[in-house]
Amino acid sequence: MSETNSSTETGTQRVRKPRKPKKSQIPFALLLTALIIAFGFYLGQGSNKLPVYWIFGIAFGYILQRSRFCFTAAFRDPCITGSTSVTRAVLVAAAVSSVGFVAIKYASAMGGGDSNLNMAGVSPIGLPLMIGAVLFGIGMVIAGGCASGTLMRVGEGFLMQMLSLVFFIAGSVWGAHDMGFWGKLNTNAPKIFLPDVFGWFGAIVVQGLIIVLLYIAAVKWQQKKMGSIE
Amino acid sequence: MAEFTLDCLGEACPVPLMKTEKKMSELSVGDVLVVSIDHSCAMKNVPEWARKQGHNVEIEEVDDGEWEIVIEKAK
Repeated sequence: MSETNSSTETGTQRVRKPRKPKKSQIPFALLLTALIIAFGFYLGQGSNKLPVYWIFGIAFGYILQRSRFCFTAAFRDPCITGSTSVTRAVLVAAAVSSVGFVAIKYASAMGGGDSNLNMAGVSPIGLPLMIGAVLFGIGMVIAGGCASGTLMRVGEGFLMQMLSLVFFIAGSVWGAHDMGFWGKLNTNAPKIFLPDVFGWFGAIVVQGLIIVLLYIAAVKWQQKKMGSIE
Repeated sequence: MAEFTLDCLGEACPVPLMKTEKKMSELSVGDVLVVSIDHSCAMKNVPEWARKQGHNVEIEEVDDGEWEIVIEKAK
């Protein structure tokens, strides 16, 4: 790779931007960590749950930024380059969270809670979902990130995505305002909750099977498109 | 052994990747392409794509949140 420094066609040495001397960011990191902990204690005064939300939020953002985990790339890269590495990462994340989800729900069902929470958390599969999914898919590729990705990059200081964030909020508010109208289109739409159909154990098996099949398909897709399975 | 530059500053992914892909197909073997980017997502997927294609890749952080990806076309 050192060839990149060799002379070019015109015989001139390759000019690189001079590297700016970097300021140490560790003092800022320490200060921020102290502020996060202090704010956590402040939140803990009123309710017991807010500090937990706070820490999970911070951890989620940190992991998202460091891992460059991107839901947009998971669905976009297979079409553009044929690379499915992010797609497979999302599949693994879905598999892990399915197990955790079952554990939480099952524990609550055993503890006497509603076995299906009256389907309150289950969204109907109807026309609004289909329209919304297509619009969201188009929008996230143009905006360069989904919801979490946009937030993460605003935090990184990428200015273009501040614009995305403004319209993302505007769109969400608009959507929330018109929720009643969209709800009318969902009156006959089916609600599917896998544990109701297959039972708790069956649901996790079926879900796992679907994820494994998608994973295999992702590997095959990349092999076909790029000739490598890395 | 010509050298080309590609300015993708301010472009969100996937634009840098697609521009790189297009530019690389115009280059001949041994040519070097320097892509300037400031989008952290492109910092990951452009080198990843280029490495999978078998090119030599080097990433340099020229400033906080600004990178130069040096790609040497290998085939």
